[in-house]
Amino acid sequence: MRTPLKLAIALAATLAAAYGIARSTPYWFAPRQQAEVDIHDPTLIEQGRYLSRAADCAACHTAPGGKPFAGGLGMQTPMGTLYSTNITPDPDTGIGAYDYADFERAVRRGIRHDGQPLYPAMPYASYVIASDAEIKALYAYFMGAVQPVRQDNADSTIPWPANMRWPLAWWQLLFARPRSFIPDPTLDAGQQRGAELVEGLAHCGACHTPRGLAFQEKAMADDGSRQFLSGSVLEGWYAKNLRNESTGLASWSEAEIVEFLRTGRTDRSAAFGGMADVVEHSTQYLSDADLLAMARYLKQLPAREGRSAQWTPGTDTTTAALRGGDYRVAGSLAYAEHCQACHRADGRGMPRIYPALAGNSIVFADDPSSLVQVTLIGGRTPHTPHDRMAFTMPGFEQLPNAQLADILTFIRNSWGNQASTVSELDVARMRRVVRDKPVHVVPQETAQ
Amino acid sequence: MRRSKKRSRALVASAVVAVLLAGAGTLLYQHLYPDLDAEVARTLDILDGHGQVVGQYHVPSAEEIASLGNADAVMFGRRLLNETARLLPDNVGNDLNCNSCHMAEGKRPFGNHYFNTGGGSYPRYMPRPGREIGLAERINGCLQRSMNGKPLAKDAPEMRAMLEYMAWLSRPVPEGARVAAPSEGPIDSTLTPDPIRGQALYAAQCAACHGDNGEGQRDASGDIAFPPLWGERSFNIGAGMARLYKAAGFVKHNMPPAVTREPPLGQQVMPDQDAVDIASYFIHQPRPDFAGKAKDWPRDPKPKDARY
Repeated sequence: MRTPLKLAIALAATLAAAYGIARSTPYWFAPRQQAEVDIHDPTLIEQGRYLSRAADCAACHTAPGGKPFAGGLGMQTPMGTLYSTNITPDPDTGIGAYDYADFERAVRRGIRHDGQPLYPAMPYASYVIASDAEIKALYAYFMGAVQPVRQDNADSTIPWPANMRWPLAWWQLLFARPRSFIPDPTLDAGQQRGAELVEGLAHCGACHTPRGLAFQEKAMADDGSRQFLSGSVLEGWYAKNLRNESTGLASWSEAEIVEFLRTGRTDRSAAFGGMADVVEHSTQYLSDADLLAMARYLKQLPAREGRSAQWTPGTDTTTAALRGGDYRVAGSLAYAEHCQACHRADGRGMPRIYPALAGNSIVFADDPSSLVQVTLIGGRTPHTPHDRMAFTMPGFEQLPNAQLADILTFIRNSWGNQASTVSELDVARMRRVVRDKPVHVVPQETAQ
Repeated sequence: MRRSKKRSRALVASAVVAVLLAGAGTLLYQHLYPDLDAEVARTLDILDGHGQVVGQYHVPSAEEIASLGNADAVMFGRRLLNETARLLPDNVGNDLNCNSCHMAEGKRPFGNHYFNTGGGSYPRYMPRPGREIGLAERINGCLQRSMNGKPLAKDAPEMRAMLEYMAWLSRPVPEGARVAAPSEGPIDSTLTPDPIRGQALYAAQCAACHGDNGEGQRDASGDIAFPPLWGERSFNIGAGMARLYKAAGFVKHNMPPAVTREPPLGQQVMPDQDAVDIASYFIHQPRPDFAGKAKDWPRDPKPKDARY
């Protein structure tokens, strides 16, 4: 036989084997786990409701303006837009036909009813550590208490051949292997509970842990790499570093973290972007004990090599300059014109109304993406019963890149803040991210 | 023959490769260096006395002040209008600044902008004093009423600086012309106010910043962030803001800020009835009297929302 023919046969055989193995994983890698669940048990349903909030199912499965859990939220990937699915118990368009085993395998293993793998946008690599009891409660809640909605799932815009699902089984073989939560014996019981939530159902790492080339989170728990929760960019939002480091949570107390997760604000900070949704749909409903557990766990995450576990602000020369009309520092006059009415000359904002910029760790974060984006398109703080008003930052897309870059560099390096500069190019690139944002699919009400 | 065919084939092939490379390079360049910036700022029409467009008004940024011959005076005026209470403590008698009502440094249509302070609009006849007044007198009216304080001498450097700032903003407006952007937004003045409803709306939409007792808030440095809406530290009964439809028009088009993504203030537009109800609630709360009130409207009929 000639060599090219041999090669072609070898390639075809490899492909066939890869395909066969991928399609067989539901039988040996993630076999069905059947169990009896009483979906009418009110106690179980309430547990499930709480866990669905801890797991923030609504963040992705409820599109803005859409019906609860009916899907349609667009998620940007380098290949195209994915849409979240209908997880209401509608038998035709939702998960009404799922038995417990189907549900368990979708949530913990990322395999849907028909045996096809789910995209890792669904954080099954985190959910896998949830206990059987938790999954049963979630099943009871979704099947027994969520209102069924008839709404077809939207197809992704990813083109062929990249939209073939079977190669994802190989991703799962590599990055989403079955595992359980392993408590760190050096932590106390409260911190261990925090770790279980943060690593598992709350899936904080899905946004806050940097991802590798294959889109896998570089660490699923706090391992020796110390990459876990060290900050990452998704859809132009920088989910900040949550480790106890200078630019991470070193400047936050446990009480502030709890207050932030419960109300979306502290006296100097406010949730915006993706985190506003997390507070609104998820953390505001968590118990004080669980919030404190998460805060205590985060505050013990050690600093990475070469990074300080303290945040030490520099000297504030900005307040006096702005109040004295000294605008020699680039960006300071534009700040005075466009930002100062709310964020104030002293950069301390107004407690629980306008966030501070001085000493606010998202302002001097390692990566300025969130700061650039919120300045361009604005941001809404979550609404919780704790405060009578939710506030929104207006967007400043109308200001030129050069002026925005000056303002952002100014606030990252004023009032004692210290951080890298922001360039015109950073602003131009964020304009593209904003322009290319996916549009959510929310069907309009049709006449019955 | 054969050689030339070969050569032309090679030539075509290399041309194709070159085009592909150039295309890929362009795409890569555009990806790395996106050509995206703010849209060209929209301008406002300048209208002459007959309503004809005679020019375009570009709202200037504070950074443009530096290139002016009188930059120091204009900048000083800008600061005085922004931070009047702190910089003019002898003239301001309460916790308000000029720009508590003149939003966004006096550059916001429907937010009491200063664009039309030039173009020969002053001195002009005004019904409240019943005579012709100049812009300095108008500013002193604000100091005595809205800021419950004392007038500045017309030739005081502070007065001159504020006038210079307004002159800079109105410079592009020719004699007899106006920028086609009302400084006060429309409000339905036939509506009947419901102050009880207004109180509930105030609690929900205003009190978070202005306080349950209308007391306002200062920032951590002691500067006024949210002005008091009633009480001894608020505007007196002689202020325009004490009049129902003036206050309602302001509230409708400017308050509350920071609730939408709309620049520059994140403002919304409130339903007329809500604005009238809210205004009727807060303007009738206790506030300082105005000593000169007997002299107002000496010849013209008083507006229906006059307080005295």
